Amino acid sequence: MEFLIFSAVAAIAIAAGLLMVLQRNAMYSALFLVVVFFCLAVIYILLGAYFLAVVQVAVYAGAIMVLMLFVIMLLNVAWPEPDDRVLGLLRPLGATAAVTFAMLMAWALAGTPGLPSPLPGTSLPVGAAMTLGRVGEAQAGHVQEVAVTLFSKYLLPFELVSILLLAAILGASVLARKRPDHA
Amino acid sequence: MPGFPEVVPTEAYLGLSAVLFGIGALGVVLRKSALTMFMSIELMLNAVNLSLVAFGRQFGRLDGQVIVFFVMAVAAAEVAVGLAIIVDIYRSRRSVDIDDASWLRG
Repeated sequence: MEFLIFSAVAAIAIAAGLLMVLQRNAMYSALFLVVVFFCLAVIYILLGAYFLAVVQVAVYAGAIMVLMLFVIMLLNVAWPEPDDRVLGLLRPLGATAAVTFAMLMAWALAGTPGLPSPLPGTSLPVGAAMTLGRVGEAQAGHVQEVAVTLFSKYLLPFELVSILLLAAILGASVLARKRPDHA
Repeated sequence: MPGFPEVVPTEAYLGLSAVLFGIGALGVVLRKSALTMFMSIELMLNAVNLSLVAFGRQFGRLDGQVIVFFVMAVAAAEVAVGLAIIVDIYRSRRSVDIDDASWLRG
C-alpha cells in the first residue's frame, strides 16, 4: 500500500515537473510546480515527516507560490485567453471534483470512531496522520522531538534565520519600490 | 520508521529526488524566462530536501528534517529578494528574458 502510494505520487510529481519545465506559459509552469509541491508533501507524510509536510504546503505551496503568481501577473507575461469550449468542459468537471472531495471528507470524518480525546501534548499533524490509521501512540511525540532538536541543538541557526528573513524583507522592499529616476 | 510492514526503500526516495533535481537543472539550462528558471531552482531545492528527509529516516535522526526546515526558510528569503530583482529588471528592460539582462557581462 505504502509503495503503491509512493509510486503514484512519484509518477505525478515527475510528470508535473516535466510539464513545468516544458510549458511555455509561466502561469501554467507555476501551477504545475504547485502540483509537485503537494506531491512532495504527501511523500513527506510517507516518510513520517508530518511537520515538514504541513510546512511544505503552508510555505511552499502557499506563501512562495502565491508570491510567484503575483509577480507573474504583475509582469503580465502572455496570459492566454481561456477557450470557451474548454471552460464549458471544465465547469462540470470542477463541480464533480468539489462534490467528490466534500463527500470524501464527510466519509473520512464519519468513519473515524477511534479519536475519543486528543492525546496530551499532540498537535494537528499527528492527529491528522492518526486519522489515516498509520500512526500509533509511539509516534505521538514526533513533532515534539523535531521541536526539541530545533530549539536546542539548532537554536543559533534558528535565531540567525530570523535575521535573514528580516534582511530579505528589507531587501525586497528596497529593490521593488518605485524609483522616479528609474530609466 | 520501525513498525511499518512494507517500507519503501530509501533508494526509491533518492531516485525520485535525483530525477526531480535533474528536471530542475534541465529547466535552468533550457528556459530563458527568468521566472521559469527561478521555479526550476525551487524544484531543485525541493529535490534536495527530499534527499535530506529520506536520509534522516534511513539513519533514524531528526537532523535532516531540521535542516530541511532551514532550507525552506532560506528559500523563502531567496524568493522574496529574487522576485524583487526580477521585477526591477522588468521595470528597466520590459522583459524577463535573461538574454536581455546580460549587461553585467564584462
